[in-house]
Amino acid sequence: MDLDLTKPVPETQPWSEQFWQGTKQGKLLVQVCEDCTARIFYPRKACPKCWSRNLDWIEASGKATVYTFSTAYSMVEPKFMDELPYTIAYVDLDEGVRMMTRIVECEPEQIRFGMKVEVVFHERGGFQLPYFRPVKP
Amino acid sequence: MSNAKVAIIGVGEVPTANLPERTHWDIIYDTCIEAIQDAGLHRNDIEGVISVAPQAQPKITSELAFGKLPEELGLDGCKDTVSCNAGGSSTSNCLRLAEQWIESGVAKAVLVQHVTLHSTIPLADQINFFAKAGVDLQWEYPFGTTYNIMMGLIANRFMHESGCTPEEMASVVTALRSWAARDPNSMFYKKEVPTVEKVLASGMINTPLHRRESNVLGDGGSAMVLVSAEDAKRLKRPAAYKLGDSARYFSGTCVMRDYKKVYDGLRVTAKEAMAQAGITKDQVSLWNCYLAYPLVHPLMAELLEVAPPGQGGKYFLQGRMSFGGDIPWSTIGDAPGRGHTGSGVSAAHYVETARQLMGKAGERQVKDCKYVYQNTMGGSGFNNIATIWGKEI
Repeated sequence: MDLDLTKPVPETQPWSEQFWQGTKQGKLLVQVCEDCTARIFYPRKACPKCWSRNLDWIEASGKATVYTFSTAYSMVEPKFMDELPYTIAYVDLDEGVRMMTRIVECEPEQIRFGMKVEVVFHERGGFQLPYFRPVKP
Repeated sequence: MSNAKVAIIGVGEVPTANLPERTHWDIIYDTCIEAIQDAGLHRNDIEGVISVAPQAQPKITSELAFGKLPEELGLDGCKDTVSCNAGGSSTSNCLRLAEQWIESGVAKAVLVQHVTLHSTIPLADQINFFAKAGVDLQWEYPFGTTYNIMMGLIANRFMHESGCTPEEMASVVTALRSWAARDPNSMFYKKEVPTVEKVLASGMINTPLHRRESNVLGDGGSAMVLVSAEDAKRLKRPAAYKLGDSARYFSGTCVMRDYKKVYDGLRVTAKEAMAQAGITKDQVSLWNCYLAYPLVHPLMAELLEVAPPGQGGKYFLQGRMSFGGDIPWSTIGDAPGRGHTGSGVSAAHYVETARQLMGKAGERQVKDCKYVYQNTMGGSGFNNIATIWGKEI
């Protein structure tokens, strides 16, 4: 059986390149619409609220709150098996958008709904994936 | 006065099982001929053929899309054929298209069929397909998510908000398998029904999903014949009349799926479909819910107002949705009970809806089955289509 064990990297669009460039500089960027002020995640070619092309970016604080999570112990793709166990979560950024991420630097049992987390970038294949870790008190 | 426009008057199905020697065309022949004969029609009476697009099976998908089925079965009266793909909600759309063809005069009788052979898909292709289908390749896939994890995310949040316990969640498997054990077309026909303790002891895949709360992939297929409601009545045959239909789109990307919007959508589509049918929830004889994973059933029971808020899991644990309980629910056991046939699970649910209304459900027959609520959801939950079917017009 010929399994591809290469770790996947994001399949980007031209209008999301700036997001990924930002992560390489340690910045978590959120797209904003200059016309209707919508904060947009994931990045789009046109504002999904007003179709304006007048889009810009703000740098997020990197602070977020765990909305929900699930910790994987088995039955993931073979290319991710060496990373088990790991926790996938939806986090709400303080800037008002939600993204999928991983929660790292803590035991899975310590993760809670509403837990405060902060961004920490994880290198993969030339990309910096935005993971999140608990905010230390 | 009923607004029914179409009815299912014939069904055909093969047992769900991993039998690689049973080819796609084996299944198509058996299910389609059975459905046409069950309808009491001649092969040349079928004027339209609509196929549920199989997932991750490019060869049969192309053959069906490019019109081989009517030729293969000698359906000489066929005027047109097409395939339709909306993931798990494909069958709902096939039935809608059949309705449009019948209403517009394109076809008087339409055959809707599905076939899937998971056992012949190379494992690497299977893994590759299911890892990426319905998952965003930029914002989700690189983090290592899976279908199971996406279900875990929604289930964990639901349990947090509702207080639903792991035991209550596990009891959904017991309920679904209690029906499946009595379904000759299930992979688990006559198999032991797992207890809550067995489900919880089966090992964690990802929180809160245990192994026995996941699905087993299987091969299967089914077919239905539809005619106008007037023709169904004229033919004086057992029939399932379509009375209501309502849909909501949620999101294509899982992380963009606002759970409140999903909850509202599931609630309102049921209400709209029942309003179209002119019935209330108290008149529903069977809640034939297609949710693929058992974890979502308690939430659905609450949103359909079958169980009060916070009581969905308790209802399952009390056995109310099990075979012999007072709330007939997913009588083929949904995908965890039937075996997961990809986009075909929704087709199997419609066949069961028809079978129950026709009085042909054998040991699983719901007493005095008059109205059935049936839903389908596509992909990883991008939409919900609620329908109401009735025994008479």
